[in-house]
Amino acid sequence: MQNKLPLYLVISLLLLVTLAVVSLYMGVYVFEKHSFYEIFTGLINHDGSIDPADEFVLMQLRLPRIVMAILIGSALSVSGTCLQGMFRNPLATPDLIGITAGASLLAAVTIVLGSYIRPYIPEFLQYSLLSVMAFVGSLITMVMVYRISTQNGRTNVVMMLLTGVAITALGFAVMGLLIYFSKDDQLRDLTFWNLGSLAGATWTKNAILAVVITMSYYFLINKGKALNAMMLGEKDAQHLGIKVERIKKQIVILTALMVGTAVAFAGTIGFVGLIVPYILRLVFKSNYHIILPLSAVFGGILLLLADTISRTVAPPSEIPVGVLTAFMGSPIFIIILIRSRNTM
Amino acid sequence: MLEASNISYAHRKFSILENIDVSVNNGELLVIVGPNGAGKSTLLSLLANEMDKHKDPIFFKKKTFKEWDNKELAHSKAKFSQSNSHDIPLSVKDVVMMGRYPYFSSIPHKTDEEAAQKAMAETDVMHLTTREYNSLSGGEKQRVHLARVLAQLDNDIDKKLVFLDEPLNNLDVLHQHRILNTIKTFTQRGNTAVMVLHDLNLAAQFADRVMLLKKGKIVAHDVPGKVFTREIISSVYNFPCTICPNPVNQNPLIIFGT
Repeated sequence: MQNKLPLYLVISLLLLVTLAVVSLYMGVYVFEKHSFYEIFTGLINHDGSIDPADEFVLMQLRLPRIVMAILIGSALSVSGTCLQGMFRNPLATPDLIGITAGASLLAAVTIVLGSYIRPYIPEFLQYSLLSVMAFVGSLITMVMVYRISTQNGRTNVVMMLLTGVAITALGFAVMGLLIYFSKDDQLRDLTFWNLGSLAGATWTKNAILAVVITMSYYFLINKGKALNAMMLGEKDAQHLGIKVERIKKQIVILTALMVGTAVAFAGTIGFVGLIVPYILRLVFKSNYHIILPLSAVFGGILLLLADTISRTVAPPSEIPVGVLTAFMGSPIFIIILIRSRNTM
Repeated sequence: MLEASNISYAHRKFSILENIDVSVNNGELLVIVGPNGAGKSTLLSLLANEMDKHKDPIFFKKKTFKEWDNKELAHSKAKFSQSNSHDIPLSVKDVVMMGRYPYFSSIPHKTDEEAAQKAMAETDVMHLTTREYNSLSGGEKQRVHLARVLAQLDNDIDKKLVFLDEPLNNLDVLHQHRILNTIKTFTQRGNTAVMVLHDLNLAAQFADRVMLLKKGKIVAHDVPGKVFTREIISSVYNFPCTICPNPVNQNPLIIFGT
């Protein structure tokens, strides 16, 4: 089965590209030219054959949003898979163990307090500041959860989930406070952001996301074998020549970075890191060598699908994508809980 | 081959091991025995470089573990642990193939497949190849991990070293002897094995040398015939015993309760 990984990757990438093209055409606004080829050549040649309004919707609204859905979906799903490998439990996802809440907490504070300094700093720095703060929030949470729930390389699942509950509760409290103090326009921003949305996609954000993800995947995506070996226990993995401590540190820092950036730009889109590995496990068992790279592609597919539905299902308004993923994810959460009833 | 001097280990001020000197020669099968809580597993763990808290370095082939490259070390040294994970949602073959992880980067080579097959045949888990690991019995899981450890050391390197922490738990008589014979063959090829065992008679039959521990100290460390004497064994285990020559192979035969 290991030899077929490239094949699976190619097939799933084709699926992703097809979905992206279809998604480009979906939406309230309908383009003048319908063929993909016409639009594509029109854009490349810039010969004026494309209506400026069309071009704006395409290049500044839909395409950045599609790219962002793919990037964030992929990042969240890979983070989930890596955390599950590290904690050796399919319930260890950024949202359930409170990492997302930790990131949103600091990001929300930055949004509200930052509104006072926003006019004075350039866009790039604003977003960077937001992602740095969200990164700090998720990193602190991650270290805290790991310290509390794991002793001698063994994770107490109940402790892990409860620490997540506690941090999420704190996040809610801070959010409530911020909502109470914020002005009307900030309020709408906060609420929408709290439910998760990709409506704010821009090329600047995508560029930052792309850099973060490229860097993280460079270190993480080939760690499938190491995560498999860690299922034996950390000491046994070490006997196989795997640098367990170093890999754990990489996972902690890089998933915090990815989750932090994703939360900073799109709010709390939950359950992506739970749904994708769960479905992949149904097919490929827990072989991280296969599911880790595939989760990078399928995360993109899932979030792109969810986002396309969220902006087309109830025109002209849209439902927050976080609501959709939560609808998909909670049943899976319950299924995993029931299945692991005997082992917790 | 493996040399360590003056090993001590304490857990929260409670001393587990005190001033242990160990030196294991090439081709030697050393069996560590002793009553519960003697520190057998801890000693094995320290020797196998699982904890780096202790001060005095351990020399493996004249190099400390720190001086070894991780991957090279994994080609020369392996360990079978007592507390094997019970939840590995993979097939038996995937688990055995983990033993070959130090040898391939993404796709197993032909030699890796062969090594895995050979190891599975050796521990009699061939018929379980495609089974789900989690559905196996305790003894079968044990044999899968033994196959993984054997596969890990299947290479052309001279003088390899294997640690085994109670490898015979949960195994039936046939498989106990099969595994011990496999390990014996491994050491007869110039490799070294350090093993914790509970069954003194099996230790007497297979070990080249025996180390008897009690409360973190070495009571005796010698060939089986000199360690397994009535005085030593009955006092260390605090239980009466008789020792007579085994009528078949003349090894010491320990009969407890007499």
